[in-house]
Amino acid sequence: MHEFSIAESIATQVCRYAPATGRVCSVEIRVGALRGLEPSSLEMCWQAVIHDSPLAGSELLVDLLPWTIACPACGQTWTSPVPFVACSCGEPRPNPTASDELDLVSITIEDEMEA
Amino acid sequence: MNPPVRTIQLPLNARVLEANDRIAAENRAEFERRKILAINLIGAPGCGKTALLEATLRALSGGRRPAVLVGDLTTRRDGDRLERWCDQVVQISTGQGCHLEAHQVRDALGQIDLSRVDYLFIENVGNLICPVGFDLGQAVTVGLFSLTEGDDKAAKHPYLVESADLLLLNKVDLLPHLSFDRAGFAADVRLLNPEVPVLDVSATTGEGLDAWLSWLERRAVGGA
Repeated sequence: MHEFSIAESIATQVCRYAPATGRVCSVEIRVGALRGLEPSSLEMCWQAVIHDSPLAGSELLVDLLPWTIACPACGQTWTSPVPFVACSCGEPRPNPTASDELDLVSITIEDEMEA
Repeated sequence: MNPPVRTIQLPLNARVLEANDRIAAENRAEFERRKILAINLIGAPGCGKTALLEATLRALSGGRRPAVLVGDLTTRRDGDRLERWCDQVVQISTGQGCHLEAHQVRDALGQIDLSRVDYLFIENVGNLICPVGFDLGQAVTVGLFSLTEGDDKAAKHPYLVESADLLLLNKVDLLPHLSFDRAGFAADVRLLNPEVPVLDVSATTGEGLDAWLSWLERRAVGGA
C-alpha cells in the first residue's frame, strides 16, 4: 500500500529526531496534494507500523495541502481536494497546481518533570 | 503522587524521505560522474514497460550501451526477457514493496560494470502512484501510459504527469480498435503539465521508436 511505506519512513524519522526521554504523543506532518496520500489510510498504516514500538499510542496529525485552482477566464482562485473541477463562471477546465512536499513538521513529547 | 508531566512540542521541519533522498543524490552524482543517463521508467502493470525496453534494446544494438535494472514483486520473468537483448540486466525483487527505493538501485549497481554503460534504464515496479514519490537518482523520469488502460489515466495520476520529463503513449497500433479519446488524454496532460512532451509509440510495431530514441540521445550526457 502506498501509505504504508510512507508511514514507515515517518516512524524512522521520528525515532531519529525524538529525544531519549519522554513519550511521543503526537507527530505532525505536512503533505502536498500531489503526493496522493489519503490521511485516513496514512493514520491506519501509522497505527500498524508503530504497534509494539516506542511510538505506540502516538497520534499522526496530517496537514494536507489542497490543490489550488486558478481560473484563466474570470481570475478566481480557490482550493480544492481534487484537481479537475469546473469554475462557477462556466469555465470547464481551470488550471490546477499542487505541491509535493512531505515534511515532518513537529513532534509533541510528554515528559515527567523532575522534582 | 505521580510526578507532574510537561508537554513539549519540538519543531523539526525535516523531510520524511530524507534517507532515501540522500542515497538518491549519491546515485545521481555517480551517474553524472560516469556520464550515464539514468532513466526511471514508470507505468502501470501491463502498459508495456518490458516490451518497450525490449524494442529499445533491439534498436540500440551497436549504439549507446544499455544496462537495465528491473523491479518486480516476485518473478524474474521481465529480467529473463530483457537478457536476450542486453548483457547487463539486474532483477530487483521487491517482495511486498510496490516501488523501488534509492538503496535498492545503489545495491544493484554493484552487479553492473558501469564503465560500459551509457543508458541505465530503471524499470520500476508496475504502479502509477507509489514509484513517483521515491527519487532513485535518475536524470529523467519517463511515464508510460497505454491505450488499453483507458484515456483517463493521466487525469487520475497527476503526480506522475507533473513529475515526468517525457510521457509515452504505448500501443498506438490499437487505436482503430479502441474508443480511446486521444485529444482528451492530451488535454488532461496539458492541464497538469503544459511542458511535458508526449510521444506515441508501439513496442509491437516499432512505431514512434525513432522519436523516443532521438529524445534519449538529446538527453544523454555528451549527446548531440
